[in-house]
Amino acid sequence: MSQKVIKYIGRTTDFRGNTLWEIVGNLSDWGIGRMVIRNMFQRYPEPCYMRILKVQAVNEQPDNERKVRVTVEKTWRGVTQPKPVEIYSTSYKADYELVPVDQEHKFLTNTKKVEPVVLPTKMELPPLLREYIKDETGDANPLINVHFKKTHNKLARLAQAGEQPTRQLSMDVGQPAKVSAKLYDGLL
Amino acid sequence: MLRAGCQLFNPSTVAAAKTGSNNFALEFVRWRRKPRWLPVAKSKVFRVPERKKQSEEERTELMRLHNNYKTQLRSVRQYLREEVVRQQETSTADHIVFTPEQEEAEFQRCLEVNAAWNAQIAKEREVRLAKEREEKVAYIQERIEAGKLRAEEQRERADQRIRHEIEQSKTFITRDNLDAAIETALANPVDHNYALDLEGNMLRGRTTQSLTS
Repeated sequence: MSQKVIKYIGRTTDFRGNTLWEIVGNLSDWGIGRMVIRNMFQRYPEPCYMRILKVQAVNEQPDNERKVRVTVEKTWRGVTQPKPVEIYSTSYKADYELVPVDQEHKFLTNTKKVEPVVLPTKMELPPLLREYIKDETGDANPLINVHFKKTHNKLARLAQAGEQPTRQLSMDVGQPAKVSAKLYDGLL
Repeated sequence: MLRAGCQLFNPSTVAAAKTGSNNFALEFVRWRRKPRWLPVAKSKVFRVPERKKQSEEERTELMRLHNNYKTQLRSVRQYLREEVVRQQETSTADHIVFTPEQEEAEFQRCLEVNAAWNAQIAKEREVRLAKEREEKVAYIQERIEAGKLRAEEQRERADQRIRHEIEQSKTFITRDNLDAAIETALANPVDHNYALDLEGNMLRGRTTQSLTS
């Protein structure tokens, strides 16, 4: 008898794992203190994991994946958030995975960090606007402030006074990353 | 066929029959597609759209370009916004600029004008309130007078009614004259029947004496 072949039909997904309720609902004490991961974030070499602090069950809604309100301590790309984070609206995604207790050291001993990105505070103007401003102010090389809004999950920052930025910003296409250099073969 | 666009410049007989056009007139058919409110075509119900794989280099480069563009755009927008604010603060185009002394004097002048207005309105208000007070006093007085008159009339009517009743009570049937009244009634039976003749005369009573015959 030949092996039965399962043929999947339908749209494919990048998610892998279970919804948060499927994990948390099966654990004693709702899995408080256990580690869960989002498989989508395992693309980063830095450790991304969450530790469950509090669980509140939510009634099941018909025709919907069951959601659950979970407060976690979140570590994302090697940085632990100072405040606990509540997961509710994304808890239905079938992308969570429980980490067995004896596997947790894989994440805890991973000490990779994102290399710091320091952005310059000044940037040149677009060509036409630059000409106008040159005429108006008489400044030979006018510069504008770089717009940057710090949020909890942004790992870059603006340069302090006298600090050397690690990245240069300009009003053109810029330099492609090393990985994608060959897309520009013979163009740049 | 919903997508008949390819046949437009090479009109076959089928297309001509469909659109009612001839070979001379070029007919443009815009938006020749399924209307939004129609359901998915039967032939497409089970179609699964293919997911295009993006290569790593392409993804990285697109992300970099996107971030770059957003930073540039937001920086320029921020610059322009700041410039507008700066111009509004320093420009004297749409308002008159005063020294602090002038501003103080202008403020004092405004206060005086306001006080004058207030005084004038207060005067008018007092006159109006006095008038209203007088009118109210007169009205209340009038109401009191009318009330007194009404009470007087009422008492008068009641007195009159009592007097009338007393007058009537002389003919009342009491226990003392009950027998006499019965005797009188039996002696004078009253018949309320009557007949009309052709002239319209009323003929009262049938056998006994009528009330007013």
